[in-house]
Amino acid sequence: MTATTETRAQAVLIPPGQRRGFWAGLRTIVRRAPLSAFWGVVAALIIAMAAAAPATAPYPPLKSDFRAMTKPPSEKHWMGTDQIGRDTLSRVIYGSQTSLTVALGAVLFGTTVGALWGLACGYFGGRFDMASQRVIEFLQSFPDLILAMAIAMALGGGVVTVIVAIAITRIPFGGRVIRSVVLSLKELQYVEAARGIGAGHARMMFRHILPQCVAPYLILATTHLGVAIVIEASLGFLGVGIPPPTPTWGNMLSDALNAGLVPPWWLVLFPGAAITLTVLAFNLLGDGIRDLLDPRLRGSV
Amino acid sequence: MYSYIARRLVFGALTVIGVSIMVFVIMRILPGDPLVAIFGPEGYTKLTDAQRDNYMRELGLSDPLWVQYLSWVHDIVRGEFGHSFFRSESVAEMILRRGPLTAEIALFSVILSWIVGIPVAIVSALKPNTAADSVVRFLSILFLAVPGFWVGMLIVLALLFWFGYRAPMAGASLFSDPLINLQLVIGPAIVLGLGQAAYIARMGRSSLLEVIREDYVRTARAKGLNSRWVIAMHALPNALLPVITLSGVLMGLVLAGSIPVERAFGTPGLGYSMFTAVYERDVFVMQNLVFLYSVVFVLLNILIDLSIAFLDPRIRLR
Repeated sequence: MTATTETRAQAVLIPPGQRRGFWAGLRTIVRRAPLSAFWGVVAALIIAMAAAAPATAPYPPLKSDFRAMTKPPSEKHWMGTDQIGRDTLSRVIYGSQTSLTVALGAVLFGTTVGALWGLACGYFGGRFDMASQRVIEFLQSFPDLILAMAIAMALGGGVVTVIVAIAITRIPFGGRVIRSVVLSLKELQYVEAARGIGAGHARMMFRHILPQCVAPYLILATTHLGVAIVIEASLGFLGVGIPPPTPTWGNMLSDALNAGLVPPWWLVLFPGAAITLTVLAFNLLGDGIRDLLDPRLRGSV
Repeated sequence: MYSYIARRLVFGALTVIGVSIMVFVIMRILPGDPLVAIFGPEGYTKLTDAQRDNYMRELGLSDPLWVQYLSWVHDIVRGEFGHSFFRSESVAEMILRRGPLTAEIALFSVILSWIVGIPVAIVSALKPNTAADSVVRFLSILFLAVPGFWVGMLIVLALLFWFGYRAPMAGASLFSDPLINLQLVIGPAIVLGLGQAAYIARMGRSSLLEVIREDYVRTARAKGLNSRWVIAMHALPNALLPVITLSGVLMGLVLAGSIPVERAFGTPGLGYSMFTAVYERDVFVMQNLVFLYSVVFVLLNILIDLSIAFLDPRIRLR
């Protein structure tokens, strides 16, 4: 028992001597995992495109051109136009802004709350831990999307409510993983030593244990980004996401279906392809980060 | 074994109670005002105070919360799921009429995910790091990233575009009209099945890779057994246990995923009514359906745990 906890915790420990500069680290990544590095670049490009949406999008996302309604892709509109003549390419680009904001916000918020909760559970143990584990179990008894739907619907649509709704579905994951990491860290000698010299609870948790949770936290956060993007798109598709006319990928697909019996193919193809490419990039980047930071967690998060 | 089953069932019952409380909290307490959820923020501001009081009384929303909770639970126990805010059909009738279609889709998709996922996992694990393995791994990563409802929309479009085919709109049961029923079920089942197959292939591959390295597999080979026999009879049964558990977890993906996928295909199943309920902000229908889906999810996982206990002698013989 002790042997296994030790090896597990050691995998998480990062000796201070091995910390390198940012650029040196980056070079190691490119050399050791070129594929992950490539997808990292794709992810970075998507983020850059989203951040610079006013510059990268050829048209304003809400501007209708009534002379070009439901037009297939052409030189003027690379991805065609929708039923009221809005440029699909511009809407896809602006949609990435919304999707990424929501996904990043939800994952940061949810994983952080979960991680802090897991830290407290693992550190204090006892009745608090027991009760918390039950609550987390209840949260996990809901399929992710259904829980997010219910919360988003109850809170009413909007960027913040969608972030909260998705974040709540991410809490159990952070809680579970960080708790188990803390449980194994707690037994290590350096933590015992800190307790021995009289460190208080806050100092023990935040100064000695928390820094070692950074690697699993990062791995969790990146692997859940993709899930968050898909949930956001699904919420938009089901009409409980960010209300129109704000362009999001889910809203665009929903609009395409609402418009008539047969949606034009370019209104379906491009927003969905954007979702797929983004999720693919983040998932593969996440895999790479996981392998790099902690090969032992392979497949477990 | 019996004490394990008893313990699992008691925990299951507790979970169902906890889930019911959580559903109630989300649907009734979180928004502060359920009328906002029903009418939307804009509609709500248009109501007069008298109208608001009237609605609140009519819906039993002015009672203390614990009374509301207990009366809801009481209704559910009696099989009384209430009425939609917008339709005449009761929720119980809706579940009985539309539920079977969604259940069929879920069942077919699980079967399909095993039929596709397991052989792929075996091929991939037996010849790791070959071209076939790389292709399979990339495809499974791709399928994890593709949203099922989008694939559904593309399939509908492609069939219409190239074959002029469109699935029938009206529901039909497997027994009254199997042909129509099949046309309704097959699309969503394929989309949801392939989505799960990607997870199953990934998990099956890593699980099988681990098991193949075990001593008892080497022993079986060493005593001269045919290598296929060793894989099929010695390695596979043990490698499949975690995959069965994963299949239970994936039920969440199927149950939830069927909502947008049924919308994409226009399938008249329960997932579509869930979409309608959410779209129309039908709080009471939503509350009952969310509870139903979660209870089904919990029950299925209990079932999986029990079957694992039955299949795994380490638990069975304890």
